[in-house]
This record gives sequence, structure tokens and C-alpha cells, in this order.
Amino acid sequence: MKKKVKARRWIQIAFFVLAALIAVNHTLAESGMAIPFVAEASLHAVCPFGGVVTIYNLITTGTFVQKIHESSLVLMLIVFGAAILVGPIFCGWICPFGTFQEWLGALGRKIFKKKYNRFIPYKFDKYLRFLRYLVLIWAVFITAWSGKILFADFDPYYALFQFWTGEVAVTGFIALFLVVLLSLFVERPFCKYACPYGAVLGLFNLIRIFGLRRNADTCISCSACDKACPMNIPVSGQSKVINHQCISCFECTSTDGVCPVAGTLEFNTAALKGGKDEN
Amino acid sequence: MKIKGLTAGLTFIVLMIGGIVISVATGYWATESSKEPVKYETGDFAGEYNPADIRGSYSFQDIENTFAIPVETLAAAFGLSGEENPEAIEIKVFEDTFGIIDGMEIGTDSMRYFVALYKGLPYTPEEDTALPRPAIAILRKEGAQSADELAAAEAKSVTLDNFTGESAAAATEDHDETVLAEIKGKTTFAELYDWGLTAEQVESVLQMDAGPRTQTVRDFCMEKGIEFSTVKDPLQDLLDSL
Ligand code: SF4
Ligand code: SF4
Repeated sequence: MKKKVKARRWIQIAFFVLAALIAVNHTLAESGMAIPFVAEASLHAVCPFGGVVTIYNLITTGTFVQKIHESSLVLMLIVFGAAILVGPIFCGWICPFGTFQEWLGALGRKIFKKKYNRFIPYKFDKYLRFLRYLVLIWAVFITAWSGKILFADFDPYYALFQFWTGEVAVTGFIALFLVVLLSLFVERPFCKYACPYGAVLGLFNLIRIFGLRRNADTCISCSACDKACPMNIPVSGQSKVINHQCISCFECTSTDGVCPVAGTLEFNTAALKGGKDEN
Repeated sequence: MKIKGLTAGLTFIVLMIGGIVISVATGYWATESSKEPVKYETGDFAGEYNPADIRGSYSFQDIENTFAIPVETLAAAFGLSGEENPEAIEIKVFEDTFGIIDGMEIGTDSMRYFVALYKGLPYTPEEDTALPRPAIAILRKEGAQSADELAAAEAKSVTLDNFTGESAAAATEDHDETVLAEIKGKTTFAELYDWGLTAEQVESVLQMDAGPRTQTVRDFCMEKGIEFSTVKDPLQDLLDSL
């Protein structure tokens, strides 16, 4: 049985439930039947990506784009702060849509066994992974251009958590359907190829204070880390993993994840013994 | 120094809760737009809330809080006394509930107009803005408007009995078709340009530089202290002549 980072699963479940509750509660609140003690905020207001798309507006006119409020900006800064420390931990531990894809992935893994998440050769795949930067540029651009969060119309995450409201555009449902389908073949397809927020957070991997470091002296080259990585990062080939796609899930590490040799693969501020920071 | 997954996860959650608590404590945290309209800056009414800034997202309660008009009065004025939670009714539902009656519209602007008359504040409604009859009756009894203003409001009144769900739906439909090039309170400069106006044309109407693309024309007018209706009509004429 593969070792899994248990704390992560629980935190993911907790945030998935929280996001669902907030989404449902916003609908209930409109008819005056809100669940007590649950925030009545709209999903837009608690979306940290809202902070990113509104920056242009905030700088040029001092106002937020429609439906985005100060709360998004606060959450964005918190997520950035955490990302400076350990990278996109938001993606790996909190993001309810990432969690949703992982659950579907568990199903895919049952169907395709070892072949799951290995359909596209990494040498091509690694270039496809830059697609999400195009999505990011486009999302920021159309928001700045229109002053409205037009990306919501294409956002599968929004479609999933608001499908009952009638506010979701057809394009949103198509995106959601595609993600569900692809998740059966590929782990976290939206994160890898399309998520504009993942694209922003991914950049923090290049500067995170706690880097993912491997001790080449103690490593037994079992490749367990490579197999465990949901983002298909070739971990065992590097002494410091600097990859814009890492989601700080800790699944590969020796502290929490699959690496069998203690002190060999950890998030650490300093280079591990036997490992140099250059690859 | 190494960090374990659980430590990292919990640190993040603590950061998040801490950040939210701090921003709530400092009053920065907000998950919706403030429900307070801007105030008049100059003139006889300086310091009073300006009904022109009432938004569709305001509830009847928000209006009561800022303009001190009781929720019951508002509900009665718009024929909604029978509703279960009148304080929670948001003004934006007007467009769907009433839509267009006899070519006139009961929408957010109707509430602005009603509040202005009731409080005796200056406000020029949009041309097709209507007030329901009960609203006129209330104004006649309790409103602070002048006789002339009341007469003007009467000319804009519509009967609520006239509208059935069906005709409202049909009306909303053609409404949707024209919405593309119709200037409303939420129309942004970007939309004007998208519909084919040039920056020069817009600026010639405004007689000053236009605001940023993402700003609504109405907000821009509020900011510059010009009456929205005085620029709306010439802009609409320009659009219609395209
Ligand atoms: S490199 Fe490790 S921490 Fe990063 S995504 Fe892959 S398994 Fe998770
Ligand atoms: S799992 Fe650990 S020991 Fe195995 S290859 Fe990766 S770093 Fe080396």
C-alpha cells in the first residue's frame, strides 16, 4: 500500500466542504434561510484568483471589478505569502477544485492502474504545461478590458460549485465536463494545462524559501518519488526540485510521503548533505 | 531547517485565519460592496446620501438604513407588501419582477426616483423610468416633493394590475434584444466603444476626457458631479445614429 500524506487528505476534505457550504449558503441566504455560522459571501468574494484579475483595475481606477471585493485581495495576499514559504501549497492542500480532480483521479487509477497519468510522454507534456500561462494572460487581459470577471463563464470550478443557480454559462459546463473526462486519464488536468491561478502560484516554486531538496548520497534511486508525483515531475533526477508545476503536496517526500529513506527528500531551507543546489 | 507537510498545512491555515481576523478587525475585510450610497458633496444637500447612487444590490433594509424610509413603506410603494421578507428584497429583482409596463420600465432607477421624491432630494430619472401607482399614492400622502415634481411623477406612473407574468416576460425579451446598445446605469466606457462610438465622440458629449474603460459612465458622472441623464441622452442619440 502506497504511503499517502494523510493530513493533506483531511484538510482537502475540510476545505471542499467549506467551499460547498459557502456556495450553497449564498443561494440560501438569498431566500432568507442561511445556515447559521456559515459565511454568506458569494464564491467570487472568497476566490483568491479574483484578487489577481482585479489588480489592473485597482491600480488604474482604484476600484474592484464587478463582484470582486476586498476579501479576494486579502486571500490572495495570504496565499502568496504561503507560496513564498513553501510554494503552491494552496493547490496541493486547499483548492477544492484540485481536490475534486484528485478524487476523480482515484477512479481513473482504478480503471487504468499503472498506465494512469502516464498517457502523454513527459518530453511533450512538459511543453503543454505552459498552456496555462496563455490562459492566465487571457484571463487577466479580458478582465482588465471589460471590468467584469468574464473568466467565470469558462471556469469549470465555478460551474461545479454553482451549477444549481442558473448563473453558469454553457461554456462553463463544457469546461467542467472536459475536466471530469480528462481527470479519468490524467491527474489534475485543469491544474496542469489550464488553471490561471496555478500558473501564478507556480512561479513561486522558483523562489520558495523551503525548497524541495534531495540528498543524492542517501538516495537509493528507487524512483518512488517520480511515480508518486501527481504532476509527473522527474524528482529523482534533481538535487533541488525547481519546477513551475510542483504543487507542494509532499507526496514524494521522506518526511510525509513515499521516499523510503529518512532525510533524503524534504522541504528544507538548506541544501541536504550530499546534495548540491545546482542540478 | 526542514518543514513537514502537516506543519506546512497547519501554518497555512493559521496564516489564513490570522489574515482574515486581522483584516476584519481593521475593517478592511468585505465580501460585498458597501451598501451605503455616496453623499452629496456640495449644494444645499451636502452631507446627505445621494439617491442617484442606489444600486441594484441594495436591499429594502439598506434603503431604510440610509434614507430612513421604512421597509413597509417601500414594499407598499412597489406592491410587494405580500412578500415574506420585504427587508431582504433586493432592488435588482424589479427588472425581472416588473420589467417593462406600457413601454415604461420599473427598475433600479424607479427606486432612486421614489427615494428622491420622498425625501425631497433633487434627481432626474431616466426617460423611461416608471413609478407604480401605489408609490404615487404614498408620495402624495408622505412625500417631501414639490407639487410640480409630484405632477411630473404622476405622468410617469403605471398600474401594476396591468402587468401579467406573461407580458412581463415578453417585454423582458425585446428588452434583451435592445440591451446591446442601450445606455444604462451599468454601461461602461468600454461598452460604448464596443458598440462603435469613438473616444472623440464620447468626449465631445462629456466635454472632458473620458474615464477609464472599465468605469461605468454613471460612476464617472457621479465622480465629476455631472447629471448622468444629461450625457446619457446625447450618447444614446449618437448610438442610434450609427
Ligand atoms: S514534486 Fe513532490 S511536492 Fe511537488 S508536486 Fe510532485 S510530489 Fe508533490
Ligand atoms: S523516493 Fe527517495 S530514495 Fe527513491 S529515488 Fe526518490 S529521493 Fe531517491
